[in-house]
Amino acid sequence: MRRVTFVVAFSVIATAAVAAPLSRQQALQVMHVRHEGMETIGKNNKALHRELVSGSPFMPTVRSSAANIANLAGQATRWFPAGTGPDVANTGAKPEIWQNQADFIAKLRTFQAAARAMNAAAAGTDVGVMNARFDAMDNACKACHDKYRSEMHH
Amino acid sequence: MPRQIPVGDAPLKQPVWDLPTRVVHWLLAALITFSWWSVHHHHTDWHIWSGIAILTLLLFRLMWGFVGSSTARWSSFIRGPRAVVNYLKGKWTGIGHTPLGALSVMAMFLAVAVQVSLGLISQDEDGIFFGPLAHLVSSDTSDKARDIHEFWFESVIVPLIALHVAAIIFYRLRGRKLTKAMITGRADLGSAAPMRAARWWVALICIVIAFAIARWVVAGAPPFGS
Repeated sequence: MRRVTFVVAFSVIATAAVAAPLSRQQALQVMHVRHEGMETIGKNNKALHRELVSGSPFMPTVRSSAANIANLAGQATRWFPAGTGPDVANTGAKPEIWQNQADFIAKLRTFQAAARAMNAAAAGTDVGVMNARFDAMDNACKACHDKYRSEMHH
Repeated sequence: MPRQIPVGDAPLKQPVWDLPTRVVHWLLAALITFSWWSVHHHHTDWHIWSGIAILTLLLFRLMWGFVGSSTARWSSFIRGPRAVVNYLKGKWTGIGHTPLGALSVMAMFLAVAVQVSLGLISQDEDGIFFGPLAHLVSSDTSDKARDIHEFWFESVIVPLIALHVAAIIFYRLRGRKLTKAMITGRADLGSAAPMRAARWWVALICIVIAFAIARWVVAGAPPFGS
């Protein structure tokens, strides 16, 4: 019972902390960082893909791209506070993100784990493993984008 | 235009479009529709294969325009401005594409060829999907190609399709059933000479060559990838 009380209390505090409404300025700032971050992830993913499909990947590019993606993926945890949806400003983030928050967070976690795994593979020398991790990471990107990103994000 | 007096119950229908020309036409219509649908429903992989199928159709049609049946040949319908003017004055007596319609055919063929070429070197914004020749150009070029690919569809392909459909409706209101002829391959040609059909095995050779070239593109062209 005490444990339940603790969990409830913790949840209430955590929710209050997360749900503290953002000012419009703060929301726009988060959305800007999110947009730039996603764009940079995309840019690095393109560079990574181009190396991996070539017969002989240029490892410095593979490593820096994988590291950049893993780093930004970690930051993505802070990119989706409530109040940064399409009702605030033009964004590809669908309202469903905050309606199915548990599912969204699970997908984000999958992507973050996949990005870390890709980064770990890039530190090694096995291109086969890198390709497999890269495919897994792309699938994680796509799973979330298909469900939670609208086409209105330019 | 003089119409043949019907003999019996129906006017005499004669061949005007051969089977390959009709199949290419309807597959092209279906694949363009599918390409549009698939890319807007998270099936970019299907979208790319659809584009490659369209490439195959264009390659076939290009060759068929030199060795196909009379009405399919470029030389039979690409005419100068004077022919277009004469057609508008009602002085045209041929069969197949009219001099004016031929302009539409050419515009659509070229527009779709440009669209496919842009798609071949495009990449999606996430870096997940790549046209088979995207590795031959820089990442920035692939991004630009995708932007133009989207613009080209909305600003060139869709208006040309709209014009094409509008023209068919216009002729239908004047009593000419162009769609039916494109399905059955036959029309009431009046006194004009009917289509001269090409041999079936010529089409087969064109199909094989079109598939071979498309396969080469899928492999990543020149010496297969970078």
